[in-house]
Amino acid sequence: MLYYIYDGSFDGLLTAIYDAYYNKDFPEQIVPQDSFTDNFLINKVYIRTEEEKSRKVHDAVLQKISRRAMAGIMYAYLSEDENAGISILEYLRFGFKVGRTVDSYLADDRVNNINRLVTKVAREKHLLAGIIRFRLLHNNIYYAPIEPQYNTLCLLGKHFADRMSDQIFVIHDVKRSYGVFYDKTKWFMSDIEMNKDIVLHENELFYQELWKRYFDNITIRSRINPKLQSNHMPKKYWKYLIEMK
Amino acid sequence: MNLNEKIKILSDSAKYDVSCSSSGSSRKNKKGGIGNAAPSGICHSWTPDGRCISLLKILLTNYCIYDCKYCVNRSSNDVPRAAFTIDELVNLTINFYRRNYIEGLFLSSAVCVSPDHTMELLLKSVKRLREEVNFNGYIHVKAIPGASNKLIEETGKYVDRMSVNIELPSGESLKLLAPQKTKESIIKPMGLIKSGIIQYQEEKLKFKSTPQFVPGGQSTQLIVGATKDNDLKILKLSESLYSSYKLKRVYYSAYVPVSNHPNLPAISGPPLLREHRLYQADWLLRFYGFNSGELLNEENPNFDELLDPKSGWAIRNLDKFPVEVNKADYYTLLRVPGIGVKSAQRIVQGRRVSMLDFDDLKKLGIVLKRAKYFITCKGRYFPQKSIPTNAVSIKNRLLLEDNIKNRGNIEQLSIFSLFPGITDGEF
Repeated sequence: MLYYIYDGSFDGLLTAIYDAYYNKDFPEQIVPQDSFTDNFLINKVYIRTEEEKSRKVHDAVLQKISRRAMAGIMYAYLSEDENAGISILEYLRFGFKVGRTVDSYLADDRVNNINRLVTKVAREKHLLAGIIRFRLLHNNIYYAPIEPQYNTLCLLGKHFADRMSDQIFVIHDVKRSYGVFYDKTKWFMSDIEMNKDIVLHENELFYQELWKRYFDNITIRSRINPKLQSNHMPKKYWKYLIEMK
Repeated sequence: MNLNEKIKILSDSAKYDVSCSSSGSSRKNKKGGIGNAAPSGICHSWTPDGRCISLLKILLTNYCIYDCKYCVNRSSNDVPRAAFTIDELVNLTINFYRRNYIEGLFLSSAVCVSPDHTMELLLKSVKRLREEVNFNGYIHVKAIPGASNKLIEETGKYVDRMSVNIELPSGESLKLLAPQKTKESIIKPMGLIKSGIIQYQEEKLKFKSTPQFVPGGQSTQLIVGATKDNDLKILKLSESLYSSYKLKRVYYSAYVPVSNHPNLPAISGPPLLREHRLYQADWLLRFYGFNSGELLNEENPNFDELLDPKSGWAIRNLDKFPVEVNKADYYTLLRVPGIGVKSAQRIVQGRRVSMLDFDDLKKLGIVLKRAKYFITCKGRYFPQKSIPTNAVSIKNRLLLEDNIKNRGNIEQLSIFSLFPGITDGEF
């Protein structure tokens, strides 16, 4: 069994795909080193990330397949699914063969596997655009902690930067220990190490109370349907929702 | 009165407005401003009744001069009353928006002092938000029936969506339950908004800088179950609202008993299933190419509560089926029960590269529960022991597979109609 092991970055994954092509390898799995568990049946190849190779794959996908395919493998990668790496390789092999029409092969497993992951990530991205909750801190920074199931935060930087263009904010992926930062001019990503307690602005709890009050009152009691509520807004996201506490 | 109390009173009164949609507008943020609109709309939370919160849905005041029987805010009702100042409202909206609680504001109001006075207050509020606070998020405002043209037109320049609630689907019902309102007073502002939108679209072609006018379109709401009006009447009304008034949406609101006036029906809970059927039919009108006459007629003026409108239509029109998935055009596919807009698009896309089989359909994510009775793949029915082809058996299969929880309903069918195989040998 041949395993490709990469550093976990998107560049690393694209480098692995480049190597598989040019070494004419057919790896069984392409996995990030953090989630790799060794056993003695596995033949390991450690991929050394090279931006040059990654860029070549990127350009080839745009030229020979489509922009949509590029976005598709990006989303699939962000799903962190255990089979994402190998699914992407298989999808690209097929894509390089059939070209632009690859996304019409909806019933083909190689396409279908990617589409399933894309749907999951796109859905979470849209949900998060709505359910991220900022808290105003004492230093006038708006801070939003969240634990997404997929690695979707990086897809939301532009959305919030366009929208909240005159406020400094941080969206913190607590699970993955990084965040999206915005300083009123540009947004960027950076690791976050929490070593201090969060101090709220003196007005913050006042607005949280108002919001909870609003949330309680807008419910129509004779239509109560908690199942419908959690279908739309799964419980795993409730932890950081002001109104669900 | 403090803000906490006001929110309680004024959101309580606003909640029977169902619309919370924030879609259809692509308003951009301005430099140094706050907010923009997302064309797809974004839901920010869901309340325990399963409805989404997208906008801060609130009344400016619930002091009302009208006494409409179906309404919580009717002047004769003994409820606490409150009014926001414009500052309070603006402050609340901005602070909720900055915390990403909401997508924008849905501002409505009871009719306080006079229609013009109320409309003026609404206009002032949205003007303050847009011009002084530089707020560019979504705003939906109610047009108050009876307010002057000028005020309504002026308001249209600042908002993304405007709506006038028809509430009661006929002139007679209005007379019975809202004697101070007339059909004309409701229709007039709708016509006004419509011509404003059309004028904007025409001028936009000539001048790029034409100021926006209600870019998210207008909508309305009909109450279902407060009067005797049947589904056919309601659907016909919606149909003409879509065609003549170019409405974006008609919302249906199952009547929630808020009063026991003798002119109102005595019901224990809101007719949710009926509301659901009307929404399904509404979608069929807007996205599936159906017209109301195909779904209902004078002999059958109400929807079957057990069966969705599309399945009902298909069973009445079995001569049009089965449909061959690999050949039928898009609109024919859309008429198959269980196949929606997404599924039909996928089929059309998928069959470009290869003939589709039932297994392929499953991979395309198409649910065959309903569709299997109405389609063939490569000329063959779904590979199941027996796919019934007569109307009665198909209907019963659909009902059985729906796994209807309400036992009472299922027992109304006779044992023979549930198991037609016993009599016609189909099993």
